[in-house]
Amino acid sequence: MSCLKEKFDRLTTNGPEGMSALVDKFSELRGGYPEEMASSLVLPLLQLTQEAKGHLTESDAVFIADYLGVPAMQVVEALSWYTMLYREPVGRHVIKVCRNISCSLTGGGRLMGYLERRLGVRQGGTTADGRFTLLAVECLASCGTAPAMQVNDTYHERLTEARIDQILKELP
Amino acid sequence: MIELTIDNMTVQAHEGETVLQAALKHGIEIPHFCYHPCLSIAGNCRVCLVKVDGRPKLMPSCNLEATPGMRIETVSEEVLAARAAVMQFIILNHPGDCGICDKAGECRVQDYHVRYGEIDPVSIEPKHRKPKLYDLSPRISLDNERCILCSRCVRFTREVSGSHMLGIVERGCHSRVARLEGKVFDDPYSDNIISICPTGALLSRDFLYKSRVWYLEPVRSVCTGCARCCSVNVWRRRKRWHVRSLGAEKNAAAYRITPGENPEINGHWICNKGFDLHKAMGRPRALAPLIAGRSASVEEALQEGMKMLSEAVNPAALISAHASNEELEAFRIALGSRMRVYTREDHSPQPGEVLEDDLLIRADKNPNSRGVRELFGDRPYDATAGHDLVLVWGDLDDYAPLGKARILHLTSFVPPQGQSADLLIPISTVFERSGTFTNFEGKANRFDQVFDKPKLVQHAGELFGGLAA
Ligand code: SF4
Ligand code: SF4
Ligand code: FES
Ligand code: FES
Repeated sequence: MSCLKEKFDRLTTNGPEGMSALVDKFSELRGGYPEEMASSLVLPLLQLTQEAKGHLTESDAVFIADYLGVPAMQVVEALSWYTMLYREPVGRHVIKVCRNISCSLTGGGRLMGYLERRLGVRQGGTTADGRFTLLAVECLASCGTAPAMQVNDTYHERLTEARIDQILKELP
Repeated sequence: MIELTIDNMTVQAHEGETVLQAALKHGIEIPHFCYHPCLSIAGNCRVCLVKVDGRPKLMPSCNLEATPGMRIETVSEEVLAARAAVMQFIILNHPGDCGICDKAGECRVQDYHVRYGEIDPVSIEPKHRKPKLYDLSPRISLDNERCILCSRCVRFTREVSGSHMLGIVERGCHSRVARLEGKVFDDPYSDNIISICPTGALLSRDFLYKSRVWYLEPVRSVCTGCARCCSVNVWRRRKRWHVRSLGAEKNAAAYRITPGENPEINGHWICNKGFDLHKAMGRPRALAPLIAGRSASVEEALQEGMKMLSEAVNPAALISAHASNEELEAFRIALGSRMRVYTREDHSPQPGEVLEDDLLIRADKNPNSRGVRELFGDRPYDATAGHDLVLVWGDLDDYAPLGKARILHLTSFVPPQGQSADLLIPISTVFERSGTFTNFEGKANRFDQVFDKPKLVQHAGELFGGLAA
């Protein structure tokens, strides 16, 4: 059963290197928020940190909590809630395939299988060359144009295998 | 006062009280997991649904304010069907491993399942696996599969103890209670979450697999850990479950301590030191009288004590703050006027121990300093007063500060290493006698006897008459 525990202890606890460099950016943002609303800054600061570091660890969350003066567990809860916050290193391109109802009805599952075979990784995994991370996500709010996926910050709709080939080819 | 009807019974509620509170107060049982009288209302478990006359949907009674003339049904077919459905959902991913779960027998999920549901969940998916026996803290084991996510434990750390050390991470059926990985969950009140968890998710590592709870029964006692004098329950084996093959020790062990509800003194909570009271009482005991370090019979010891007292020219007594009010009174009547009386704190704060806080913990680590003070004042021992005999009552680490005086020591636990009193008479612990302590606020709290005292051990209160004779 020990393997199970490790599986769930994903939040590694690396030291918060590089965080002090971010504090300037934090303060800039903080100026725009009323003092008593520190906890509203939890998400923006997590995002800033992720932009700078690629992914987030528990120690990043603790650093942000200390900076804001909110309980660390509250930041960890937020961090674990959002699929857009990465708790493990991700590849250069993050592919998020919708697995919710409309997309499932229109072949999302099949497309996920196709991507898994093409990239040679299972969902949740990153290719050996570090180029792609393949994730399944809930509704991307493109139900009308399902099946949909998001690559980095770009939406791709009405997907087919051929369209996916083309999208992958065009990526740097 | 508001009047409303619950199941055709007219009940009264205070302004602002909820339907659930009004029902419970009148002995009407509405099942509830997430509601706890000392925590904020979360309204997440939905097992407390009731029918409100005139409203189309069932409402959670824990979050429903009583209003005048309200008509509530808690046992109609509609409510029972909804309740069964909620139970079915709650155990959707529950492992149902009651057979190996310490909570079985006092578990709400088990009780409600039997009482209100007993419908197995229908799911084509296998049950979710989550970590079992997760080390939430050195004191607490967490079984995430058994957790029903009622958030009582999380709210406790946020609203009562204030440590904010727990949270619920992930989403949906992956949600689980967690602490920071990089930090020890060392809330000094942590073990209360074991008591308030409605299921077997949070278990005491000390009590883990020691006994099924139905073999045990609680006896009301008082924690001696500090001057708050919290009420506790000491769990001993029921008489009819004393079995020879367990051996004497297990038949007469204090298996665990739980908070004793006491609105006057400690409410629903105690601190972790209280949860460890049985360990404090398990320290090496003084079990036989010793005259100058050699074992003696009880009669010899009493003879020797009487002799020492009658020979003494300038005797003194050092009174224990662990003595009960009744014992103090017995001492006062028998010997109080014959000796100079000094008081002391038997126990001072230990390194690493919480000194004092706003919730319960007091800096005075003795239960009855107030009771002692009311009878005998608070004069500390005066080594220059030329006493030739000191009756030391209670724990003492070192006889040296008492100077050249002869020592008559009444103690429950083994005396200082390498020193022997002129006479030592072992006395009963708080588990072996009954009585009252007066806490720092002047409130008396009563403790009952949990175990018989060992044969050669005496009750201090019964000794003084004999010694004075
Ligand atoms: S561990 Fe227990 S108290 Fe905490 S959320 Fe789960 S069921 Fe509720
Ligand atoms: S607060 Fe004091 S009396 Fe209460 S449980 Fe803790 S140590 Fe015991
Ligand atoms: S279900 Fe896929 S975008 Fe909504
Ligand atoms: S007790 Fe009312 S919703 Fe849980």
